[in-house]
Amino acid sequence: MNKDKTAAVRIDMKQLIQTAGFRLILLLVFTFVVLSVITGGAFCTFDQIRLIAQLFPEMGVMSLGMMLAMIAGGIDLTVVATADLAGILGCLFMKLIMPADAPMIVQALVLLLTTLVVLAIGALCGAFAGTLIARVGIPAMVATLGASDVILGLAVGITNGSSVKDLPPVLYRTVSWRLFDIVPFPTLVFAVCALCVYIILSKTAFGFKIYMIGANKKAATYSGTDTAGTITLVHMISGMLASVSGLLMCGHFNSARSDFGKSYLTPAILICVLAGVDPNGGKGKVGGMVLAVIILQMLSSGFALFQNISDYYKNLIWGLVLILVMIINVASERRKAKRT
Amino acid sequence: MTIKKLLRRNELYAAVIIVILTAVIQGKSGQFFTANNLVDMVRSLIVPGMMACGLFMVIASGNIDVSFPYTAMLCMFSVTRLFQIIDYQGSVIVGFLMAAVLGLLLGLINGVLAAWLRLPTLIITLGTCAAYTGFTQGVLKSSVISTLPVPLARFSAATLFEVRNGVTGLGSSMPVCVILLIAVLLVTAFIMKYTMLGRGIYAVGGDPVAAERAGFHVGFIKIFVFAFCGMIGGIAGLTQVAVSGMCQINFFEGYEMTIIAAVVLGGASISGGTGTVFGTFLGVLLMKLISNNLILLGIPTNWSKLMTGILIIAGITASGYRMVMAERRVTSPILEKKDAGEVKG
Repeated sequence: MNKDKTAAVRIDMKQLIQTAGFRLILLLVFTFVVLSVITGGAFCTFDQIRLIAQLFPEMGVMSLGMMLAMIAGGIDLTVVATADLAGILGCLFMKLIMPADAPMIVQALVLLLTTLVVLAIGALCGAFAGTLIARVGIPAMVATLGASDVILGLAVGITNGSSVKDLPPVLYRTVSWRLFDIVPFPTLVFAVCALCVYIILSKTAFGFKIYMIGANKKAATYSGTDTAGTITLVHMISGMLASVSGLLMCGHFNSARSDFGKSYLTPAILICVLAGVDPNGGKGKVGGMVLAVIILQMLSSGFALFQNISDYYKNLIWGLVLILVMIINVASERRKAKRT
Repeated sequence: MTIKKLLRRNELYAAVIIVILTAVIQGKSGQFFTANNLVDMVRSLIVPGMMACGLFMVIASGNIDVSFPYTAMLCMFSVTRLFQIIDYQGSVIVGFLMAAVLGLLLGLINGVLAAWLRLPTLIITLGTCAAYTGFTQGVLKSSVISTLPVPLARFSAATLFEVRNGVTGLGSSMPVCVILLIAVLLVTAFIMKYTMLGRGIYAVGGDPVAAERAGFHVGFIKIFVFAFCGMIGGIAGLTQVAVSGMCQINFFEGYEMTIIAAVVLGGASISGGTGTVFGTFLGVLLMKLISNNLILLGIPTNWSKLMTGILIIAGITASGYRMVMAERRVTSPILEKKDAGEVKG
């Protein structure tokens, strides 16, 4: 009797180890320990961890949008451009309507209004890309590549490539605000976004449709799913998430520029692949995304501690890790398929 | 060739736009059809034209490669740097061979990964693209090489002929590298049109499953197109050095978009299976016509990126629309007949 029980537990353990989530947690702990040891403890200080918590949402919120598009069997390369454009337009809007010497409450209202405008811009950019994919019928990759040039082109054209400065201090102050002086504001934003995406994906019919379209678009169409509408909506949500991340970036740098997001595209894809989102569509969970984002930001912040590693190496490492993760994912999946 | 058949050719649209554009530019400046401007035009076509050939093959096989500009960058810097270090004095051909081999190897990495992993090639090449960029900037610490090693400098200065504009007195010369462009165009056209391999590339692009059943080795074809694209990238990288007389890290920034746009505007379907080298060349010509004459056309340089984006989307929409129409012609003759009947009735 007792023996049976231990056997059952053992099987459970075995199943647990084989899940992607467990592997990610293991990787997270491993990364943390290795970085702490290499840096001689400089990595596992409270300040450093808070810095990571402050920074990872910029990349993370954007990646959530990328994940949605990827689960639907496509990809959204507009996220970076959308974040930049939304940030720029949002900052210009805020500068325009912010009255001089406004009291606190007005400032907060202006910020709220700006957020709404930024979300609308993101949705608009997403609708543009989504329409190209779903209604015009262009493959997601090229459609978003082209749309990203259009959106970024607008951003460059509006600002002449220079940055929007002298923002009202309310944005910067809000973004660097901390709950109980511990939890940074961006982390809260990320938590809200991740929760929303989680609810969409696992609690709504819409989320189920996204998985269905990603797994087999033709079958989804023939079973009566409005694929065009769903894909457009996916890209609109992705655009909104990207715009949130754009606003966070503006708050972080206290200015807006058309090339802030530039370095985030490869990491955003890397996060999705690392989180176990299938680039061919149909698979992916929010939990994995959260872990993957934190792992990546830990690596990124870890490199920053080494003065002699230039930023250029980051590119090399992101590229190599992306390829490596894809190889591991594919190899382990094939092994699993062979076993069953 | 009947007019109907000609109208169905994808290149026609690019050609028509080119004719209109040249007319507009000539009308506005009066300087387009001058000897020096035409030579300059050809000069600016050399590198993008070569790269477009390599990418065209990848796109025709139904894949995509965004890493080739960075392959070119890596090859350009490593060969030039090596020549500098060993103070090489021999023939420039050795340099081009080295660049070609290095490019081939980098392309092979793309190809093997694509054939093995069977994941979207965009993501794979985005990964290698980041790795190649990081390697060039981080490990090789490249930024600018302004004085070229002797063989490259000699090759850079070599010209086929020189022309001079009688009115403005401006002159320009045709570099020897233009021969390379012609060679690459001919080789690509030959492979695509007259070899079994080329037919296989179109077949895989059209329908990989059908191609496999028909006896084509899909994996090999994938590896070949990426390796070829890498090799052309390597050669084009060194050619850029010869054309511009220096090495600079930002030569190829954003090139992938321009070249993809050029290939698509030239009538190749982005989902693979169609297109010609001639059309691709027209596409490059169109892109360069626009980007070289932005100011003449009344577009401020700040908006040039927007222009590329709009062009890409317009080109793909047009080619996608034609595909849909062609498909409708093939798949639903009954439906069309019914429509026609209704009109009659």
